[in-house]
Formats: sequence, C-alpha cells, structure tokens
Amino acid sequence: MPTVIFGPHKVNYELVGEPGRPVITFLNGLTQNANLWKSYAEHFVPRGYRVLAYDMLGQGRSSKPVIDSKLATHADTLAHLLDELEIDKIHLVSISFGGIVALDFAIRYGQRLYSLTAMSTFAELTPQLEFLGAVMTQGLTEVGLPYLQNMLYPMNMSSAWIAANRERIPAMKRAGYIGNDGYALQNLMESFVEFEPLTAQLPKIKVPTLIMNGEFDFFTPRECHELIRSKIRNSRLLIIQHAYHAFTLEMPAVTMRQLGEFLDRITNGTWQGDQSVWIAADDPTAKIQWLPCDGDWMRAVRPVAASPATPTPARPRKTQPRKTPT
Amino acid sequence: MIEPTLYDQARDRIAADGFTPDTQSRIALVVCATKNANLLFQSQAQWLPNLGVVQQFFISQAARELEAVTLLLRTTQWSTNAMLALEAQRIVAPLLAAWGKVMQFPGPLFNPPAVYRGISLGHAQLARIRLIPIIPEQIDPLNPFALVLHRIEQENGRMLQTQIRLLKSMGSEMPLAQREALVEQDQEVVDAVFNDLLTWLSAAP
Repeated sequence: MPTVIFGPHKVNYELVGEPGRPVITFLNGLTQNANLWKSYAEHFVPRGYRVLAYDMLGQGRSSKPVIDSKLATHADTLAHLLDELEIDKIHLVSISFGGIVALDFAIRYGQRLYSLTAMSTFAELTPQLEFLGAVMTQGLTEVGLPYLQNMLYPMNMSSAWIAANRERIPAMKRAGYIGNDGYALQNLMESFVEFEPLTAQLPKIKVPTLIMNGEFDFFTPRECHELIRSKIRNSRLLIIQHAYHAFTLEMPAVTMRQLGEFLDRITNGTWQGDQSVWIAADDPTAKIQWLPCDGDWMRAVRPVAASPATPTPARPRKTQPRKTPT
Repeated sequence: MIEPTLYDQARDRIAADGFTPDTQSRIALVVCATKNANLLFQSQAQWLPNLGVVQQFFISQAARELEAVTLLLRTTQWSTNAMLALEAQRIVAPLLAAWGKVMQFPGPLFNPPAVYRGISLGHAQLARIRLIPIIPEQIDPLNPFALVLHRIEQENGRMLQTQIRLLKSMGSEMPLAQREALVEQDQEVVDAVFNDLLTWLSAAP
C-alpha cells in the first residue's frame, strides 16, 4: 500500500479506479482497516467510481501514536490525504468510530464533500455509550485485547452470523489481534476523554446525508441516529432490517445496494433530503429498495390504545408446539 | 507492523513440530533477554526522587517482569544446543545496545532523558512482542509453555499502562512530534528483533 506523510505520521492508503471519476472514501470502524473495504471497491469501481480506503491513525499499517490522541487529528489527516492525492471532493462513507470522524470532517471540511454516509455511529456520547466506552477501555487495559475482541463480536454481529462463522472466528480473531495494537486502540478510545459533542454543529452539514442504522443495533441504537437525522436538514435515515452494528461486514450486498441507491439519486438529481425515515429492502436485487417507515421508528413495538373495541390478543394454547427461532 | 505471514510461518512450524525444546529455548532466550533489560531499568528507576504514586508502578513492574522471567526459566524445556544461545544473543543485540545507552553512566537516576527513553523502550517491548498468534489452535490449552506465553502476554498488556500513562503525562522538554518519533523509533528496534525471532522460529530445526 502506498503511504502519505502527515506531520510525524505516515498514512497507508489504497486508491483504485480511473482518475477523473468521482471518489468514494471509506472510513473504518475502531478495530478495522482499509482491507475490509476491498469488496466495496470491487463493487463500485466497475460502476464508474474511484475508491479510496486507508488505515486511519492507530490502525493497520499507518502510524500508531502513543501520546497524541486528539480526535480532530483524524479529519485533518483525511483533508491532508486528499490534498496529497489531488482529490478535491469525495463521497464520504463511514461506520462507527469512522462515523464520528466523518461528521467532524463534514462540519469543518464540508466544501470537500459531494455527500456523506454515516453508518452505526453517533454525534455525542449518550449515557449508555459513555458507560459502554468505559467498560471497553477497562476490558482492554485490565484484561487485554483478546477480551475486547471477544466482547466486540457479539456486540457487532448477529447470533446467526456467529453461528455460521464459528469455525472461522478463531482465525479472524488472530488476524485482528495481529493487525491491531492494544495501545493504539486505547489511544483511539481515550481520544473521547476530551471529545466535545458534535450535535450542536450538525446543522452546518449541508451536503446530502444518508444515515444508516441496523434495526437491532444495541451498540449505537436508534437514538444516536435519530439525533443526527433531526439536526441535518438534507438527510434521510435508513434502517437496515435485521442488522446489528457491523452490517457492512455482515450484510455487504445489502449495504452496497443502499449506498449505490443513494449515490444514484445524487447523480441523477432525484435525491430529496427531507429528514424522512425509510427501511432498506432485505433483498438487494429488489426493484424498490427504500420502503416507507410506517409508525414510530424509535420504538420496537407498536402500542395500540386500549378501547372496548380492541380485542385481547390471543395467547398460544399450551398444546401448541413452540416455534423454533430462525 | 509485523508481517502477518511471519506469524503464520512460525505457527505452522510449531503446529508441525510441537513446542520442541529447541523452539521453547529460542523463545525463552529472546524473551528473557528483553525482560531482564526492562527489569534492570525498572529496578533503578524506582529509586528516582519524588516519584509519588509512580514509584508503586515501577516496583510492581519490576516484580512482575521478574515473575515472567522466573516462569519462563522454570517452565521451558531447555535444549542442549548451546548454539541457540549465541543466535539469540545476535538477535537481541540491537535492543540490548539501545538499553545499554539508557543504562550507561550516569544512569537513569541522574539522566532524565534516559528515563524517558527507558520508558519508551519498555513500551515498545511490552506492546510489540506478542507471541499468542504463534500458538497453534490445536495445542493443549494446559500445555505449560503455551500457558506461560498467554500469562506473560496478558500481563504485558496490564504492565504497559505504566508506560502509556508516563509517556503521555511525563514532563519533557521535547516537543510532542519528537516524542512520538522517539517512541516509533524504539518500536522499529523492537520490531526488527521480533521479526528475527519469528523468522528463526519458522526455520527448520
């Protein structure tokens, strides 16, 4: 992978696709690296895009600062990387930790964006996130990186995925252990100590913004994405059905299709940033991809006001066989 | 970053041959040499004046490094091949030379820049020498040597907090970029040593 130098740091990146085409840039989650976007590059390059992925500071083969831990450095690094590569504007796609960096970039470098996609992320630390972050840091520092890895799998992926990949998980964990350094992850996590919430600055984001949230993401739940949706006028919230936090890894075909849909709408001028809420189709080959969200998207259940006309829900009889979860 | 293929090759070799006395000796000789160097530094640094609570961390780390060395010395099935000691010495020589500069007259007690360098070198060792990925999955989890490698690595992660906190908070006249560069430079020294160890472990006996 080629390298760009930014101050004392080196940044490894991968840029594929023909020069002159619109660039999609991917920002990684906390324990990820540029390699994880390879399948996305294989999908979008033949569709007329260039794809830029890179190891953020603290990840993969880029520098892993020990002392400096300012969150703002990440957005500045991206701006510098684009300067070095002589790329003026990009479609920025981000997940989780990368999502915060992307929001920061969109606030401070908005003129360099065609669009923003923020997946499984947050603009401020809700009390739940603050506590989760503290527990993750404690696990990393007092028990170790393997503990954090064990903790993140069930937080990121569904039971179905874990069951289907159980044999591969030890090798995947080993690769993650080799590629990540505990101290570098700790440094990234500690950058939140001085993190100022971005919420008040979100209205500065004017570019088309797609916010994507897994239906069952309990790591960064709906309230985190709702906050972003409510503050960015030119946005839409898209809920990915049956998905957990790391749906870019678990459901790449669905994710690529939604990103493609969003980019197509921007290109052909049919994008409407109206802060509406949509549900992504389960089938990436379906003709209609964005389905209207009926009801309260903040709730997991739909309460109906009790009235004499409301029938009591039938209870299953004891003799009925119980359904096996699928 | 250490090339993942180096880990794979070392693990494949151990999977094929098991933790032979030769393999155990190679690992133990290199790891003990690095830990002894940090132990020597920690033993001196704990006498620095006005350390306050930091003194406890130095004392604790010196004790835990001694424990790691003792565990390895007593658990390892030693090879009778004396040439292994010579090769181990060649591999760790650059790192021991770096430690030598830290410990040389007048020593860390009277040379504040040497203290910073010692902490930085200790950080690089504890952070970058990671042997868990070379333990084959099929190894009995109660294999004493595999177990000791796991214990040492888990403890390294905990001990590392001392170096992380000190590197971040210790007063130094050096600018931030220079301090980061120093840490990275020490990591390169340790990475080179660890690269050689992995290559040695991958080689045919």
